[in-house]
Amino acid sequence: MNHAAAHRARHSNAPPLALYVHFPWCVKKCPYCDFNSHARRGEIDQRGYINALLKDLDYDLAAHDGARPLGSIFMGGGTPSLFSGAAIHRLLREIGARCAFEEGMEITLEANPGAVEHDDFAAYREAGVNRLSLGVQSFHDAQLQALGRVHNATHAQRAMRAARDAGFANINLDLMYGAPQQTAASAARDVAMAVEFLPSHLSLYQLTLEPNTWFHRHPPTLPDEVQLTAMQRRLQALVGRHGYQQYEVSAYARRGMRCRHNLNYWRFGDYLGIGAGAHAKITERGAITRYWKHKHPRRYLETAGGAQCRGETKRVGAHEALFEFLLNGLRLRDGVETALIHPRTGRTAEQALALLSAVRAQKLVEISGNGSRIKCSAHGYRFLDDILQQLLPTAE
Amino acid sequence: MPITDPSRIRNFAIIAHVDHGKSTLADRFIQHCGGLSAREMKEQVLDSMELERERGITIKAQSVALRYRAQDGDEYQLNLIDTPGHVDFSYEVARSLQACEGALLVVDATQGVEAQTVSNCYTAVDLGLTVIPVLNKIDLPAAQPQHVMQEIEEVIGIDASNALAVSAKTGLGVPAVLEQIVTQLPPPRGDLTQPLRALVLDSWFDNYVGVVSLVRVVDGCLQAAKSKIQMMSTGADYQVEQLGVFTPKAIPVSQLSAGAVGFMVAGMKQVKAARVGDTVTARLKPAQQPLPGFREIKPTVFAGLYPLHSTDFTAFRNALDKLSLNDSALFYEAETSGALGFGFRCGFLGLLHLEIVRERLQREYRLDLIVTAPTVVYEVIKKDGAALRLENPAALPPPEQIEMIKEPRIMARILVPQNLVGPVLSLCVEKRGSQRNLHYHGRQVMLEFDMPLNEVVLDFFDRLKSVSQGYASLDYDFIDSKPAPIVKVEVLINGDKVESLSVLLHREQSLYRARELVKRMQTLIPRQMFDVAIQAAIGGKIIARETVKALRKNVTAKCYGGDITRKRKLLEKQKAGKKRMKQIGAVSIPQEAFLAVLRTDSK
Repeated sequence: MNHAAAHRARHSNAPPLALYVHFPWCVKKCPYCDFNSHARRGEIDQRGYINALLKDLDYDLAAHDGARPLGSIFMGGGTPSLFSGAAIHRLLREIGARCAFEEGMEITLEANPGAVEHDDFAAYREAGVNRLSLGVQSFHDAQLQALGRVHNATHAQRAMRAARDAGFANINLDLMYGAPQQTAASAARDVAMAVEFLPSHLSLYQLTLEPNTWFHRHPPTLPDEVQLTAMQRRLQALVGRHGYQQYEVSAYARRGMRCRHNLNYWRFGDYLGIGAGAHAKITERGAITRYWKHKHPRRYLETAGGAQCRGETKRVGAHEALFEFLLNGLRLRDGVETALIHPRTGRTAEQALALLSAVRAQKLVEISGNGSRIKCSAHGYRFLDDILQQLLPTAE
Repeated sequence: MPITDPSRIRNFAIIAHVDHGKSTLADRFIQHCGGLSAREMKEQVLDSMELERERGITIKAQSVALRYRAQDGDEYQLNLIDTPGHVDFSYEVARSLQACEGALLVVDATQGVEAQTVSNCYTAVDLGLTVIPVLNKIDLPAAQPQHVMQEIEEVIGIDASNALAVSAKTGLGVPAVLEQIVTQLPPPRGDLTQPLRALVLDSWFDNYVGVVSLVRVVDGCLQAAKSKIQMMSTGADYQVEQLGVFTPKAIPVSQLSAGAVGFMVAGMKQVKAARVGDTVTARLKPAQQPLPGFREIKPTVFAGLYPLHSTDFTAFRNALDKLSLNDSALFYEAETSGALGFGFRCGFLGLLHLEIVRERLQREYRLDLIVTAPTVVYEVIKKDGAALRLENPAALPPPEQIEMIKEPRIMARILVPQNLVGPVLSLCVEKRGSQRNLHYHGRQVMLEFDMPLNEVVLDFFDRLKSVSQGYASLDYDFIDSKPAPIVKVEVLINGDKVESLSVLLHREQSLYRARELVKRMQTLIPRQMFDVAIQAAIGGKIIARETVKALRKNVTAKCYGGDITRKRKLLEKQKAGKKRMKQIGAVSIPQEAFLAVLRTDSK
């Protein structure tokens, strides 16, 4: 038995643990983005921020008894690739000094194409990153401009090649469809160019206008519902022919290349979150709590490592936990194992089935594999939000 | 102390169309006579319900006793009896007028005479009241006093040459009106020596003292100190607990004698005990004859009211119980619908009455309600000779059992400017009206149409306003019920009949109306996870169909893994939107869809 497996045995009941690291700066804020990102002003104090992240992590680890080994680390943002390979290297080394890593550990870094958007990809590879997620979005200059991206099609191509040349075998490309004035043909061209590059993973997001974004205040004309549906079908067929299987609403992967970190969210695993605005969910002695860190980078830097850095800590009630479990699990095309319900939520499978009885009667959700899995029906998968509205816990 | 000498009392009402300034004028009177201090003077004191103030319509009759020193040096008591301002309440108007010797006819000098005013003025003249014409809003540049005076003479037929010009807003000319009330209106007649007869003008429920009745003493004297009274329509006895007058503050008095107007509290628990128009007499020395005009008012329009959330049923029942304490015309009876669950079939005096009750239930009792399409009361004669009062389309017997259906008809009087007569005539004909009369009165035309009440209930008011650019005004009386080919149009949602959506329509209009109805519903029902078929059928035969196309999808593309609270808030917001709808089977139907038949005038 290796070190990690020994840890796992000691915490046999606790869900697997992942670590999310947030980098809150971008070159500029995109008009559709509602994440915690801030346009960079001047040079980022990389050293200072990494120090803060580590203090933040130390505080969290001390607050929880006996750290479980990590199954994945995801460095997201913002634009984490604004940080140098050396900075990322130090961060990962220091995390490794504090936490055990599971076998097959996945370490993802989000990077944006563009001349000033990232360091040498080889440096990240050497730092220990083994999965790169590129925010390509499109291969059309006009499209990229409409989305407010700083890079162009040439940058996108160059970034993909550079990632490959740096030795990354596991690469995700983020692509957006349903952008202003986009046609199904142009969306298909974007995806065709992406699959030609043979990434291991694709994230195909439909553009949505989120509150508190520039697009929400100045809504562009988007393709209508009929066009969007046609677009989505066409893209799904296209990536399917190239061997990418849809396993979540927006995620497609080659065999064996599903994103471990995101799967942990969807299977209601635990995660620590460090960095400005990062969220965490931890199960201890059967109780689930959520907390999050100060959103604003300056406040975060001032408070990281102390109790003031955390916003409120929320205890997740049993009803809520079951709802959240389904909210995540039903996003997966194959659903979730019934066997996970009790260890992850504290509720029994029977209680879950009772909650699901109405949506099952409507044939939106089905129990498959001899009662071993809960998943959406083909029809229900298109109306996940309607299903979830029916499952919402009533005010407790 | 209130004045008791009848020669120094004047009882008067104000007849005016909505917005012509009745309440403002009343306020000026109160102010001039010092009934309230400036601080107490809220705008439009008499319209005391929040709703009344918002709509500018008086719903409950009220009165105020004004103390006025006339130019002859004597002090007079002027009792202003406020009247409801809508055709739904014309019975109450007649009773209020009956309590007066005179009336001010207030006409907006910028607008001219309107149908409701004409009708009320006729009632006043019929009851022998002296009418003093008053031209209001004289300060406005658009005022045309000469024109309006001529119109009063032509349309109503009273001398308007001495009409008083006032501005209730600025107070201009108001003292002159008070003086004219004293000099022109006769003092109340009435015999103090006769047995007590007092007319009930209105009754309302007060949480502390029970029923309070506004009365006009016609003969004899009403004593405060524990005198025993009897209601002549029911023969029920009560003991007077309190008498008083409104200045408009409630001031207790020891007696109300012939000619006086005031309030009475007599230990009644329900307003039904003291109905408008009933006569109060003394138990020991009762009058031989009640005062004329009393009749039990029956609801003319019925609708099903259902709480949106079934858990609200008890609260809904309690709210209706409370409302009816104050509204003797409101009728309600528990009813169950397959689609809507438990609710009440409610009867109203008219559409405005329905609107007011619905709004009060929503506003004062915070109840979310589904209101089904209002229906009039049909008389169904069955083949076996049995007659049936049909207040609910759902209760219509199968066609093979029906000999005939009679629908209630009204005489509608419409006053409309000459240049707009054309479209109004076509509308009345479209609404199955037959013309009975057409008179030219200066710029205006008075039309009289015999037409089915059902058509008025459907969408006549709104259509009339729109074809006449807002100028036409309407008043009506019931005449009789006449046989008509009435059919029941049923609505099916995804193949299931929803009885609460059924409507009774004239056969000739049923096809067109049914098509409009399903079209309207199609626009009101939001798109859902599946196609929603809306069908209309008569006797099992589908005559119209529309489909609400299914949504293609409803999935949030990106679910930011860590921050689940945001996603949940969004779902909760979406769900709250749906909560305002009724679930019928798997279909969510918004409240407005149940009233779709009322709003088919989409052209």
